[in-house]
Amino acid sequence: MPGAGLRTYYFKAMLSVIPGPDRLAELFRYRELLYNLVARDLKVRYKNSVIGVFWSLLNPLAMSAIFTFVFTVLMPSGLPRYALYVLIGLLAWNWTVGAVVGGAQSVVAHGHLVRKVYFPAEVLPISTVISNLVNFLFALIPLFLLMFTLGQVPGPQLILLPVAIVTQLLFLSGLALAASALNVPFRDTAAVLDVLMLGWFFLTPVFYRVEDLAGDWSRLMYIVNPLASIIANYRILLYYNTWPDPLFMVRTFVQALAVLAAGYLVFGLLRDRLPEEV
Amino acid sequence: MDAVVCDRVSKRFILRPDRPRSFQEALIGLFRPRPKDGARRVEFWALRDVSFAVRAGTTFGIVGENGSGKSTLLRVIARILKPTSGAVRVAGRVTALLELGAGFHPELTGRENIYLYGSILGLKRREVNARLDEIIGFAELGEFIDTPVKHYSSGMLVRLGFAVAVHLDPDILITDEVLAVGDEAFQHRCLEKVHEFARAGKTIIMVSHDLNLVRQLCDEALWLDRGQVRALGDPVSVTRAYLDWANAKAFRRADAPAPNRRWGSFDVEVTRVEFLDGEGNPTWFFATGDPLTIRLHYRAHRRIERPVFGVGLHLGESVHITGPNTRFAGLDIPYIEGDGIIEYRVRELNLTRGVYLVSVAVSDHSLTHLYDYHDRLYRLEVRSRPGFEAFGPVYLPAEWRHLNGVAGPIRPRPGYTPAPPPSPGRQPE
Repeated sequence: MPGAGLRTYYFKAMLSVIPGPDRLAELFRYRELLYNLVARDLKVRYKNSVIGVFWSLLNPLAMSAIFTFVFTVLMPSGLPRYALYVLIGLLAWNWTVGAVVGGAQSVVAHGHLVRKVYFPAEVLPISTVISNLVNFLFALIPLFLLMFTLGQVPGPQLILLPVAIVTQLLFLSGLALAASALNVPFRDTAAVLDVLMLGWFFLTPVFYRVEDLAGDWSRLMYIVNPLASIIANYRILLYYNTWPDPLFMVRTFVQALAVLAAGYLVFGLLRDRLPEEV
Repeated sequence: MDAVVCDRVSKRFILRPDRPRSFQEALIGLFRPRPKDGARRVEFWALRDVSFAVRAGTTFGIVGENGSGKSTLLRVIARILKPTSGAVRVAGRVTALLELGAGFHPELTGRENIYLYGSILGLKRREVNARLDEIIGFAELGEFIDTPVKHYSSGMLVRLGFAVAVHLDPDILITDEVLAVGDEAFQHRCLEKVHEFARAGKTIIMVSHDLNLVRQLCDEALWLDRGQVRALGDPVSVTRAYLDWANAKAFRRADAPAPNRRWGSFDVEVTRVEFLDGEGNPTWFFATGDPLTIRLHYRAHRRIERPVFGVGLHLGESVHITGPNTRFAGLDIPYIEGDGIIEYRVRELNLTRGVYLVSVAVSDHSLTHLYDYHDRLYRLEVRSRPGFEAFGPVYLPAEWRHLNGVAGPIRPRPGYTPAPPPSPGRQPE
């Protein structure tokens, strides 16, 4: 019966892609490569322009200014300190775009290496996520400047900021892993991503409040869109300046872990095909 | 102890021309009914039941035609590809020199790239640090080491790539024709490095078309033909078997499908052609200045009076370089009957680097009636050798002398005005 054979095959395949301790240990052995790839990304990005950091900050600051103009002058939303509110969302969003779109290209862009040298290819999308994390951290500087300008002093709940950042790191790693592997058999992944990212931007509470959504949509938003929860984390810590509901933070973290596991599963299913097809 | 063991390794590539290559095609495929069994699927076994063991500290050569699966085998050993069935066991750290400098980033300097490449091969920063000077020295980059790699010449890139990979101290080194890159002097140093490796008790697995190199360097050799092991063992006998087979194959080609490449009355047939090096070993790789012997095996089906044997050397299809024969050389063969051998010995093959085609012929004494003619059916390759280089296909053994040299550059006398250029239309006298 071919059906049963196929089922066993898929079952075995599923089992084999779960990263065992040896796989994770190997990934850990290659942390030096991860570090070097991130360092290379940053060096290349900032080498040719002394004000490279400035350029990477220009986009979120300019976007933030535009949204602030739209939602305080043209169409007042009534949110106080709207510039801060929207900048937090934009920084988290920019990290997401950089990690997912860049991550999708990472394996194909290093095809010559994947074909010719043995190394865990996972480090490629993960390094993209991390180098975009570094940009995110740089961008926190103007964010804090803006906070002080608006007279808001961050409270002790700031110690939870690393937890929020790690949550997003895990979430984005899962997405980048899946996108990088899918881009090998499906070469139009980038085109599909363009559309998906645009849609996702508007379906994420970057420039609006979840609480303002009609009916039950706000509940649904936190369930369906982990990024909404991640941005909510940042806002609780940096905008509302209060202690978050621990349950909410844990739930967001678990959500991110689940996305990471799913992304790694997709990557694992395609891993053996990468050197042949890239 | 075995460093590498391949146990019935097979690798299948599945080519599915109908498989969607993009989300767009996959989406269209949802709406277009597809024939259930119509999905075309082309299977290709790049390796089939390949088994061998490489003892630690030995050098192992792999020979075979292009497309015989050599590179796939190396990639399987290097763990880049997963075998479809069978198992590969590797003891020690492997460095695969499949493509030199594949990991270099053009915007980074040579030094930064050394660290990056080192970590791709799995090395720690301090391990790279310990070998940095050696690497820079071997690559002969000098102060260029701190220049972005995009400004390097291709030779510099190759040197750096080899230097990094070979100095990272692998237990097992896998090379795919990389010894044939760079200039002659660098090739020499690469070979020396490989020798040094072998002396240090490291294991080397190499693919090469240069059968002499395989004989010289390897303790054991494997001949791969369409993904299967044809011969395994002593490199001299393996390369000889491979060469015999390749020559026989060229001969079968000569026999059947290309009648316009071979003609004659076939009263005498040339049954086999061999190229021999100085030691009498068959090969088709020579260096400029090497001795070359072309050996013709013939079979005369009846008694032939005063035959003339000839060979021809060609560059490509058009340039006929030389066409000597036994009559021009004054060798009078009264008659032949049955089997025999004719040798054409060249003391120094004074051809420059390139691929040359060889014809052989037997004719009657008048050179008008052809018994057997093989038109450019054989090929031999010549590598360059320092001191024996020239533009064009021929190197003439000669020397240069400098007589009555003028010291220093020629300067015009003070007050000298150059003559006006000749006006057009007037013939110079």
